[in-house]
Amino acid sequence: MSDRGQPPFKVASDKPFLIGLGVLGGSYLLIIAAMVLADLVFLDYGDRPILGNEVIQQGRYAADDLPVRVKQGRVYHFRPGKNEKGLDHNGKTLRGDQSFTAATDEISLLPAKTDVPVTASLRVETTVSTVAVTNGVATLTMDEPHGLLWGEFIRVRGAGGGWDGVHEITDTSLTQLSFVVPEGAEAADSLQLSKPNPLVQALRNRDIQFSIMLSLISCTLTTLLSLWVAVPIGYVMSRFEFRGKPFIDTLLDIPIVLPPLVVGLSLLILFRYVPDWLSDVVVYKWPAVVLAQFMVACAFAVRTMRVTFDQIPQRYEQVALTLGCNRRQAFWRVIMPQAKGGLIAAGTLAWARALGEFGPILVFAGATRQKTEVLPTSAFLELQAGRTEGMLAVSLIMIAAAAVVFIVARTFGMKRIFA
Amino acid sequence: MIRLKDIALQQGSFELEDIQLELAAGEYGVLMGQSGCGKTTVLEAICGLREVAGGTIELGGRDVTVLPPAERGVGYVPQDRALFPTQIVREQLAFALVLRDQPQNVIARRVEELAELLGITSLLDRAPENLSGGEAQRVALGRALAHEPAVLCLDEPLSALDEELHEEMCGLLEHVHRETGVTILHITHSPSEAERLAGCHFRMADGKVARNE
Repeated sequence: MSDRGQPPFKVASDKPFLIGLGVLGGSYLLIIAAMVLADLVFLDYGDRPILGNEVIQQGRYAADDLPVRVKQGRVYHFRPGKNEKGLDHNGKTLRGDQSFTAATDEISLLPAKTDVPVTASLRVETTVSTVAVTNGVATLTMDEPHGLLWGEFIRVRGAGGGWDGVHEITDTSLTQLSFVVPEGAEAADSLQLSKPNPLVQALRNRDIQFSIMLSLISCTLTTLLSLWVAVPIGYVMSRFEFRGKPFIDTLLDIPIVLPPLVVGLSLLILFRYVPDWLSDVVVYKWPAVVLAQFMVACAFAVRTMRVTFDQIPQRYEQVALTLGCNRRQAFWRVIMPQAKGGLIAAGTLAWARALGEFGPILVFAGATRQKTEVLPTSAFLELQAGRTEGMLAVSLIMIAAAAVVFIVARTFGMKRIFA
Repeated sequence: MIRLKDIALQQGSFELEDIQLELAAGEYGVLMGQSGCGKTTVLEAICGLREVAGGTIELGGRDVTVLPPAERGVGYVPQDRALFPTQIVREQLAFALVLRDQPQNVIARRVEELAELLGITSLLDRAPENLSGGEAQRVALGRALAHEPAVLCLDEPLSALDEELHEEMCGLLEHVHRETGVTILHITHSPSEAERLAGCHFRMADGKVARNE
């Protein structure tokens, strides 16, 4: 009977839909993972050599293979530009970033095209020629200009007790640099120098150490303040109906939709109208950092807490009331224990927002080293100074801090909920 | 004893007026009526969870119309039971007594007593998420009975249970009623349930409550 009549109903395959979901979702996840990984991979974690002046004259036009004079037996560092194929050294072609020991006096640079400017770099590794110690300060003389600056760090190796390790450079000239040697260290006659990786440099830097401290403290303060405010607001907005509620709802979202820079500017202008003593204490001082972070982070905490309370049915309070609670007791004994997960989520979110806050802080608190510098400010100042690697190092510190807080909040949160 | 006199209730555009209901002490009253006719609203008014626009509510011979829920001496079991998810069964049973600052040993004894009455002694250290529907219902009953209320309000307590459990829970409710002598007002849809349990039937329709013996 069923052989005749209409063909059986067929439904189209689910595959395209599922693949679509996977591709759209997956591509975003991939970008997130790649973004974080790129930071980790880009940074060179090894020490790097201290290099002297450029040997190749960059910017000149090469008609053909370009001869370059080097000193036999010295170590050179080669970095090809976009216009070069490589370096012809002793019959072999060197391509890519690398160090090599010169086997001859003359090598030649191989241009990829003729009549384009030379962009490759070839620099000799400096060596220490003399070591002098005066009143606990070591002064090294290098055979080539070292290009290091006061305040940077160098790593000493092969010199023995007291010398080996990372030292802050206290003075430099073209070919000399000084650093403090610990008391009682024996004189060293031979040593190797290298530049420690940017992460070590950043963590040793007193300005950045300060900004790490300020960031950690201000973010924690901001989080506590935010929760202090977000819990009551979230509860009231979730449980009570009153006139003007939609207006207050809108007001609460303003810090989220307002451009961050404008938040800072508005705060700055607001503080023109407060008593002088108050603005003296806050503006361009650390309290301004906390206030700027708080204004934005708190809005996110309020939202999270409100959703949290919305998801807890009012029935629980009603039952608690009939069992003998007043509103306060019902809140603390029945509602807050259930809101613990939301509280931790709100705290984590507020902390992470506060850690990344930059615009309002720049406007309202300034970017004064050792005073109002937080980690995003450090990253910005590093970038401004042309130290991409320093900026990256600061970024990594921020990623690590955020990750630690996130993991701690997650595990702690889980324990509390499932214990 | 429950006595509602001329109760008026308002909830948005929904209005109830002139509600009269009287249930003697120790009676088992069942309130029936169509969905949305306001049964739960009346129950909430008795518990003090909803403000009345007019009339008086007497529970156990006291006028409780303006008292907060905590001072009315009612036990309330909502339809969804609303067991506190962060407390184990023992804590839920002790909840009302802890609020009344009872000494530890009194609380412990009362919890044991309740657990025995309801047959949940073995469940005392369980979390609510690990209870079956019938078990959760027993715990909710125990929690509402802990402070020995004069009146117990049950909002469709058996609606989510299967046939077999339904019969078992009916027996339990009878047992509890006999043992404690508490006045019970029980909302239900099921005529058989009403037949089985009620000493006194109320039917709610068109905003009125009528008593039919």
